[in-house]
Amino acid sequence: MYKQTFLHDEQIKLGARMVPFAGWEMPVSYSNIIEEHNSVRNNVGLFDVSHMGEVFVSGADALPFLQKLVPQDLEKLTPLKAVYCQLTNKNGGIIDDLIIYKLEDNKYFLIVNAARIDDDLNWMVRNKLGFDVTIDNQSHNYSLLAIQGPKSSELMSQMGLRKEKQPAFFTIQRAELNGINLWISRTGYTGEDGFEILVKNEFSNNLWNYILEQGKLFDIKPIGLGARDTLRLEAALHLYGNDMDTTTTPVEAGLAWSVSKDKKEDYNGKDVIMSQIQNGVEKKLIGFKMLSKIPARHEYEVYYKGEKIGKVTSGVPSPTLGENIGLAYVKTSCNINIGTVIQVMIRNKLYDAEVVKKPFVAKKNKV
Amino acid sequence: MTAPEGILCAKSHEYVVEDGSLYTVGLTEYAVEQLGDIVFVELPEVGSSFVKGEVFATVESVKAASEVYAPVGGTVVEVNEKLIEAPETLNAEPYGEGWLVKLECGDFALDSGDLLEYEDYKEEVE
Repeated sequence: MYKQTFLHDEQIKLGARMVPFAGWEMPVSYSNIIEEHNSVRNNVGLFDVSHMGEVFVSGADALPFLQKLVPQDLEKLTPLKAVYCQLTNKNGGIIDDLIIYKLEDNKYFLIVNAARIDDDLNWMVRNKLGFDVTIDNQSHNYSLLAIQGPKSSELMSQMGLRKEKQPAFFTIQRAELNGINLWISRTGYTGEDGFEILVKNEFSNNLWNYILEQGKLFDIKPIGLGARDTLRLEAALHLYGNDMDTTTTPVEAGLAWSVSKDKKEDYNGKDVIMSQIQNGVEKKLIGFKMLSKIPARHEYEVYYKGEKIGKVTSGVPSPTLGENIGLAYVKTSCNINIGTVIQVMIRNKLYDAEVVKKPFVAKKNKV
Repeated sequence: MTAPEGILCAKSHEYVVEDGSLYTVGLTEYAVEQLGDIVFVELPEVGSSFVKGEVFATVESVKAASEVYAPVGGTVVEVNEKLIEAPETLNAEPYGEGWLVKLECGDFALDSGDLLEYEDYKEEVE
């Protein structure tokens, strides 16, 4: 039996096609994926991402506790600011990727992946010994909606939150929409400007319909997981379980930018991660585009000069580019660089692909 | 969307319809609706043969690659080249311009025994 978000019935009314995802029954598409994708790139779209996990961490030792868990230096994080991080294990492997929001001193809020909530909580509890900290999983009490696209800010103004009152990129604040108290952050998973809204479950239906109603002016569309995947991959945003897992480190995953090199505190996997930054890695995540019309998909093998050198982690036809794009781990010893032509094995035939810069489509989210 | 007279459908969502001495095979409108935007179609070579139930083509939508099973056995006489350049035709006209292959069938009567008439197929998927 799959879990349903509080917005399930509203989505069915809108004609959503539901699929199982991370233990949840979620909308893959409402109309068609390419149309939904283009709505977000050109106007604005509304996502239900209530399957994601919400965890509050508070207490006198909240900061040192979280410092032990992630490679980012959270000392620098000031109230209402957010930072993208990974929970790492002792080997530097990624247990989950998450956003940590500092709500106030000694109080943090974490948004984690739906499929990883249990593993994350177990890991946090295992690391808790000696810290005065409370870990409060509130995933079952909150819904999470995302408004994404170039018209997001205008829509927010339309709903009564004027531009100068809106949170800046990677910050969070309390706000009121349609009389509902909620948290709004300027974050997302599409590469576009946008907001994520944390609201108590009992208000999510009201808020969902209010946003769709107010958004009509901007031609808002509800967006399913299908377009969420094409949007995030064009922006080269990683998907946990595909592009990274416990066998890959932030450095191998191309996330070294989210590792604080001068962080003094020890954290799980620090020795491995810092050594990789200094000495290099054996595999790395590259972006590629197919030189033929055939899409590459998750788990397809990658070849170079007749040798198997890695695997595709994510691949989709890019609606924005009209080309088939993807991410793959390859051995660094093969000297694969931007412009190198590699091959992807598709149904027992090799097809050429060119290594290209990430992101595939320029991000427009820093406002 | 109206299906042509006399089509037979497999539960795996392929259809077959008699076309002179040949049989035209394609995907049902239900299948293409479920797949969503089709971006690439990989068709077999003319002259290749398949037994009933064998994978003979692959249809790629934005979301995934899906295998297409032969509803009846036969030898490929013609493939729909138009789908190579315009795979979206399959979404638009699954029973018309969006057909996949034309087959010469050995024992059509034997192979088609378990296929559903269109009305029964519709009931099955709805």
